[in-house]
Amino acid sequence: MPILPDGTIEVEHVWKKFRADKTVPKFYDQVRRFGSSITSGSRHDYRWVLKDVTLEVPPGGTLALIGINGSGKTTLLKIISQVTYQSAGRCSVQGRIGALLSVTSGIHPELTGKENIYLYGAVMGMGRQTIKTKFDEIVEFAGLSDAVNRQVKFYSMGMMMRLGFSIAAFLEPDILLVDEVLSVGDANFQQKCLKRIGEIVRAGTTLLYVSHDLASVEASCEKAVWLADAVVQASGPTRDVVGKYRAAVEQNAALTTSTEGVVQVLKCEIEASDGGQVRSECDLDVRLTLNSPEPNEANFFIGVSQGSAFPMFIVRYSGSFPAGDFEVTCRLHHLPLAKGRYSLWPAMSGHAGGKGKPLLPWRPVMSFDVMGPDSYSLPEGVMVMSPVYVGADWEVN
Amino acid sequence: MPAVTATQTSFGDTLVENDASTIPDEPPDELVYHHRARLVDSLRSLWAHREIIYTLAERDFRAQYKQASLGVLWAVIGPVAYLILFVVVFSHVTTFEVGNLPYPLYAFVGILCWSFFASTLGNGGQALLSNKALLAKTQFPRECFPLETMLVNALNTLMSWVPLILLFIIFGRMPALQTLWVPLFILIELVFAAGVALAVSSVIIQMRDLMQILPLITSLGLFATPVIWPYSRIPTNFHISGGHHVAAVKLPGRLPGHFHVIAAHWVGGVTINLQMVYGFFNPLGPVIQGARATMLLGHSPNWDLTGIAALGAVLYLMFGYRIFKRLEVNFADIA
Repeated sequence: MPILPDGTIEVEHVWKKFRADKTVPKFYDQVRRFGSSITSGSRHDYRWVLKDVTLEVPPGGTLALIGINGSGKTTLLKIISQVTYQSAGRCSVQGRIGALLSVTSGIHPELTGKENIYLYGAVMGMGRQTIKTKFDEIVEFAGLSDAVNRQVKFYSMGMMMRLGFSIAAFLEPDILLVDEVLSVGDANFQQKCLKRIGEIVRAGTTLLYVSHDLASVEASCEKAVWLADAVVQASGPTRDVVGKYRAAVEQNAALTTSTEGVVQVLKCEIEASDGGQVRSECDLDVRLTLNSPEPNEANFFIGVSQGSAFPMFIVRYSGSFPAGDFEVTCRLHHLPLAKGRYSLWPAMSGHAGGKGKPLLPWRPVMSFDVMGPDSYSLPEGVMVMSPVYVGADWEVN
Repeated sequence: MPAVTATQTSFGDTLVENDASTIPDEPPDELVYHHRARLVDSLRSLWAHREIIYTLAERDFRAQYKQASLGVLWAVIGPVAYLILFVVVFSHVTTFEVGNLPYPLYAFVGILCWSFFASTLGNGGQALLSNKALLAKTQFPRECFPLETMLVNALNTLMSWVPLILLFIIFGRMPALQTLWVPLFILIELVFAAGVALAVSSVIIQMRDLMQILPLITSLGLFATPVIWPYSRIPTNFHISGGHHVAAVKLPGRLPGHFHVIAAHWVGGVTINLQMVYGFFNPLGPVIQGARATMLLGHSPNWDLTGIAALGAVLYLMFGYRIFKRLEVNFADIA
């Protein structure tokens, strides 16, 4: 077998099963299971959490794992980091792994921050001498200053998290595995972390990134793998995979015509005003048919979002709306959207504000695709998501 | 290979959609992963990660005394409390033939050996469980956990040498020159304790009920081991009355280390040197006996007993390490 360069991850047809006990195992079950784990033949109930997963990342590559909770992302990371073992298949990893599986797991509450830096650093494979030279940087990055000599159990959750991340951020591994660790911590620190991850990646480290925050996934990874039901659903360039994933999640979220509000959406149509494809920078006509039991003085909103997160832009119309069926049309000029899939959110609220039932609650009613040029990425290793498309005329003298 | 082909290489530049229906229900047999831990590789990896053992031990040692204002003194208080208890109880109830030795000194040597083993069994046995968080998230040899607790216990036991020295002074005695043999006994005990800690910790993580039994074993073991009574209480010629058949003579052959068994009456029955048998199964016995004989009495070690204890201890370690390596595949999943 050829020796792979440091920073390579190769996962070939990896399967992983977990036991599927119906209840807490009784003593007898434990004895039986123990017996079979000694003889290494297991015939108990199990379920597959990973099935035939194959992926490879070259040195310096960046790969994101996306998928809903329980789709096997963390298990795959654990197999790659050799914390647990696959049930079948082959997994070979070259180089030193820095696994950020849970930043606070290695931190001991009774010890001081300083002691924890040495402890956690050693556990992550950093020599005492290396830690010493980086100690100030770590403390600085975590923003702990004086607190570093305090027992960690008196830290706030955020401080603990920052401490954990900072230690790992200065590991300088060949491969960095990041699992949903940025979900805690304030926006400021998240930004700092993403920036630090970017620096690490630019220095040539392979990155494997797991997150539900699709924006940060798109921002930090070139390639992505979408896992669902233990199986790889799609893989390829991040934008495409994330698009597929979004489409599937949206399907599940079933763009329901809500019955919550007073006003009902009966129909929703969109069309490019020139009758062609919906493209970046075209004018888009949105036509909504609604029904209201009574006439309203209200604000009408239309928002567009990427995925089911918050909208990228919103337009508003204030006026009076009749009772019964009525139609609202809106032309969006110069659609500033790059190629991709978007959701349309209508909403209606009375001028009086939020008392009583909302006229039309804020929720996506349909999704649509926009054709056109891809958005651009920064000419560096780490891409920055840029969902808005702005046409520009250039001149270089 | 049937059905499974490398259709999905994730690092392609184009989107590849995977058809889940082509994936079989079970992996093909040739792909099934068999965990093989080669001894040489395991030991090399353990050596490479030795710093983690030190660091974890330092963590536990610091954490242990961080909040106790008496600090490290607690490591001394335990054994001394046992000593007082034994002196009070046993000096009035029974007398053991300890020669002209002061009983406290005699008992304390046993207590030291025992308390190290007992705490290794207790803490080391639970080492994997109590380090769950690290076990499930970080990757380094899992042996580090039980070995690390052993190191902490060793440090604690080292503290208890202070009262031992005090006892020597109080009774106006000097340790004999033969005390130089004591490191050998310590080594045997370390090997034995490591084997037991490895085996127990890896089994306990699967069968938590054992955790409840541990304290029971520790308290029974205190009396089953020559801590408060002399090893010489175990008979050297234990007579088993045999039948008329030669088959009865086979009995010693089933015991490991049977070459030490002295069969005196080949026709009528067998006489077994129970000290040897006991020493094989519980190497702590000869260890305590040896420590007393050399340190307090100035005798040379009893090489038969020491040998059988060393053999037993090494077998315990081999067995414990094997079990540990066998079971480590599941540690992170069931922790």
